[in-house]
Amino acid sequence: MASATPLQHDLHTLYADHHGWLFGWLRKKLGCGHHAADLTQDTFVRILTAQDKRDDLGLREVLREPRAYLTTVAGRVLLNHYRRLSLERAYLDALAMVPDMHAPSPEERYIVLETLHEIDAMLDALPHKARMAFLLAQFEGLTYAEIAERLAINVRTVKRYMAQAFEECLVLGL
Amino acid sequence: MSAILSNLSEDRPIDRAVAREAAHWLACMYGGEASAEERVACERWRLAHPEHERAWQRAQRLNEKFGVVPAPVGVQALGRKVRVDRRQAVKTLLLLMTVAPVGYVTYRTTPWHELTADYRTAKGEHREIELADGSRIHLGTATSVDVTFDGSQRLLRLHAGEILVTTGADTNAGSYRPFTVQTKHGRIRALGTRFVVRKDEEDVRTRVSVLEHAVEIRPQSSDSTPMIVRAGQQTSFDAVSIADSQTADAHVTDWTRGVLVVNSVRLIDFATELNRYRKGLLRCDDAVADLRITGAFQLNNTDNILNALPDTLPVEVLYRTRYWVTLVQPAATPKS
Repeated sequence: MASATPLQHDLHTLYADHHGWLFGWLRKKLGCGHHAADLTQDTFVRILTAQDKRDDLGLREVLREPRAYLTTVAGRVLLNHYRRLSLERAYLDALAMVPDMHAPSPEERYIVLETLHEIDAMLDALPHKARMAFLLAQFEGLTYAEIAERLAINVRTVKRYMAQAFEECLVLGL
Repeated sequence: MSAILSNLSEDRPIDRAVAREAAHWLACMYGGEASAEERVACERWRLAHPEHERAWQRAQRLNEKFGVVPAPVGVQALGRKVRVDRRQAVKTLLLLMTVAPVGYVTYRTTPWHELTADYRTAKGEHREIELADGSRIHLGTATSVDVTFDGSQRLLRLHAGEILVTTGADTNAGSYRPFTVQTKHGRIRALGTRFVVRKDEEDVRTRVSVLEHAVEIRPQSSDSTPMIVRAGQQTSFDAVSIADSQTADAHVTDWTRGVLVVNSVRLIDFATELNRYRKGLLRCDDAVADLRITGAFQLNNTDNILNALPDTLPVEVLYRTRYWVTLVQPAATPKS
């Protein structure tokens, strides 16, 4: 199609009219212009990629209150960003506390961080104990009995948690 | 972005109901106590429908993912308490955010390993280094050692692992500087030229084997008596006392050539030794623990060693993840 559809036109208007405003909003939240620019971009990318799941009417509805819509999406992007930072920090802390390990190269560190982030997202919905049970099994290779003892729960619960975790990973995974 | 990618890839999402069944079987198999019947039933489930097998394979790929992350780091980073409510989270995380870049810079400019040890090797690695006095130390797997040379002494602190020391003449020093290896259990003073020091895995004893001349061992505790161990002898000590010396194991320096030689040792002991050279966990089921194994093994590829085991012994090698391996009895009961 040679000319822009009304929908593309709307998205274009959304971008042109509110890009600067959203950048300002994010910069205030973050206190940093560099990250704000990245996250502004992420927000629009997210809106664009989510667009084909929505009908035109839905978008029109949304565009009646464009800034409310943008801040909702940007809020999610922001939260994801914070989550990454907290994970990165936890990773560096963990590295520093394990004297047994050789210092990873920047590439290794990047791969590990990306993987951590992926796993983190998959386990997001699980309660803390279920998450711990799964991590202890996967990383430390503990038996269910050992995990049960460590977390002060019974073995059947460990197994249930494991199934829960696997289910989440399979549905959300990769 | 990720939405686009997942649409393009052939990896269609797994149906929730199939995922639930797969999760049930995975949870059964992971406990380490699945019966032979359960394993057969699981096999049958996988064969029953292509979607079942697809879910199963996806779980295996997931295991590879876990293999990418070093175990202690994974548990700590992913096991951090996930925030309870969003508002609190944003506050906490905003704080983290201002702190994180600082932590990052600190980490980059002062790598912690340089603070705690001068030389170290990763699991499975070994290498030889030459020191300023002409001494050579060969570091074994997962070893960490500090070196301090000053006007009056040459001191090596062994924190973990194993070293082969060949002391040098130290001709450049004006006066004689004793050469000492220190572990948390005590000091070993070189009266000769070649010896091996190894801290055992449980960190309760230090083992010493002397290849040439002699060493003097002084346990940490002040009221213990020092002992001299001569070439061809080995012993071990803790902070308080020294065991009687015995004839040294002929294979004590094999690791410097990347080889492990065993003669009729129990499989469980073999697995323990092998695990020193492998990342992750290598376990041996009780049912096969007492099998005996003999042979010379190349340590540069421990996967090969494991994969070859079923050729000589009635065992099966079960990979739960690349870094979590168990030696078990074969699933199909052999005809007796």
